[in-house]
Amino acid sequence: MINRDYLESQFARNTDELVSCPEFRALEDGSASPDQYDAFIANVIRAHLRSPQIVAFLFALAPPETAESLEENMLEELGRGDEAGTPHPSLLKDLAAAAGLLLGPIEQMAVIDLRRLATEPLLYGTLKENGLAALTQVCAFEWMLSRTSSRVAMALTRHRGLALENLEWFTLHSEVDIQHAEEGLNNLLSYIRYYEFSDDDAQSIVEMALRENLFIKRYFGELSLASVRARGVR
Amino acid sequence: MKLVGGTVYALKIPFAEAFRHSSQDRAWSDAVVLRVVSDSGVEGFGEGLPRSYVTGESVEIMVRRIVEDLWPGVVGRELPAAGPHFDSIDEFIPNPAGGGVIAHNASRAAVELAVADCVYGGAGRSLGLAFPPVRPTVRYSGVITAGSVEQTRKIATQMRLIGLSAVKVKVGLGDDVGRLEAVREVLGPQASLRLDANGAWPPGDALARVAALERFGIDCVEQPIPRGAVVELQRFRAACSIPVMVDESLITMADAEVLIEARAADFFNVRISKCGGMAPSLRIATRALEAGIGVQVGCQVGETAILSSAGRHLAAALPSLAYAEGSFGTLLLAEDVSIDPVRFGHGGAGSLLKGPGLGIRVRTPVLEKYAVRQVELRCC
Repeated sequence: MINRDYLESQFARNTDELVSCPEFRALEDGSASPDQYDAFIANVIRAHLRSPQIVAFLFALAPPETAESLEENMLEELGRGDEAGTPHPSLLKDLAAAAGLLLGPIEQMAVIDLRRLATEPLLYGTLKENGLAALTQVCAFEWMLSRTSSRVAMALTRHRGLALENLEWFTLHSEVDIQHAEEGLNNLLSYIRYYEFSDDDAQSIVEMALRENLFIKRYFGELSLASVRARGVR
Repeated sequence: MKLVGGTVYALKIPFAEAFRHSSQDRAWSDAVVLRVVSDSGVEGFGEGLPRSYVTGESVEIMVRRIVEDLWPGVVGRELPAAGPHFDSIDEFIPNPAGGGVIAHNASRAAVELAVADCVYGGAGRSLGLAFPPVRPTVRYSGVITAGSVEQTRKIATQMRLIGLSAVKVKVGLGDDVGRLEAVREVLGPQASLRLDANGAWPPGDALARVAALERFGIDCVEQPIPRGAVVELQRFRAACSIPVMVDESLITMADAEVLIEARAADFFNVRISKCGGMAPSLRIATRALEAGIGVQVGCQVGETAILSSAGRHLAAALPSLAYAEGSFGTLLLAEDVSIDPVRFGHGGAGSLLKGPGLGIRVRTPVLEKYAVRQVELRCC
């Protein structure tokens, strides 16, 4: 049965795996090497730099009752949610600059990722299924970030020497954003209802979308994810 | 144009999900990729997947065979021209023998594909020149790995959502009746179901095992008994109400001739890595079709985009194609090696690859990332 508890349990399981993986623990306890901190920061930037485009795609598919929420989300990503807003990609670029990372190669990878997403043959027959898969992943990231961002920000302050003002992207997505993540869950359930998915189909698409731990894969790489799985975490 | 260098990559690419059948559990791909470079700087990529229970090859044997026998046989020689006939490529590639294996086919396939990719790619021509497509799209089947009834139902639901109308179910482990019941229920009466036992059933037991599954409307049973005396398969086929496909029993052209002579199969599963490359695969497939035997272009579990693209060319070119398998890409691999995805889409549709050579652009950094061993090849 697809409901809020089911979705949260899926997101929570993936989040638990992330925070208990050795790479994440090393970031928090300061035992990661400078290169590992930099690789993590670069991977976070790469994973989220094109978020406005993804959210815009989801906005296009949004059911009427969630269109406003997704529009707001998209405007926030674009920095137009309020007068003082900064586009989220700009925050990520600021983070790269503060960390002394070259933005060009990271941007190039993000562009390649998006191009690959656009050129890969669609698995499902209509946009409604492909949209559900994408919305599931976006909501999962929001849910995870709302529970881990401040921990990451603290780790990067303590052990990587970054100032809090350079970590605004994390603080924006931190615990104060739990409300946002809750809306994401509601949006996901509304989407499933609006497009009249059967329980089996919705669950199958959600499971496919989350079959790999995307958090570990995107933030630490495929080999780290494989190590986690080999140790029997999943 | 001559080959002047190259690299052998023994890979360990993690799977997105583990894959299980009666012969093996797999959590990663152990593909061996060969990169060759010509004196004009053109690269070519080939791949083979060694299977000790199929051709007798291991990664170690395969790497050694490429380095010690196959590479010395192709390096520094004038490469054939890219033309409409593949024979010149076929003749250019040595056929290693001995070493206590059934055939060094995965090794040969890797070298043949790398040379072909380099030759056709260097000329700016698609491999479709030698394998002209006769169909606009290749339709792939799904494969349901061995597992519990509940897991099987889940995978079958995924296959239905992906629009796959032909599915092969791995059998020989666990509750096959319960699993087939679940698959048929989820996919409906129109879906084409095949069984693959990977030789798990003893010859004396196989007919009863098939009979127990017959009511689910099975189109074909693949490799019901182990590779062995052809007379066993012959007897099985004569007594079985379901068409029989051979896989592990079909590795060489000699195998094909014996199977045809004995009327031991209705379908041949032709896999490029298993059969030694595109040329031997085409020969076997052509011979099968002449003999009235249907052909499946199959795959090895864990193929990267390199073997997938070769399979696409072969499957697109055959005058008659019963089934196609492969091109799973990131449905199976955590990451594939090509820039452009080769994975099939909804309905199992794989479009034709029209770019130079195999039609894909391989990302060398990805090969380096997953390489557990790299051997540099140089010109003598």
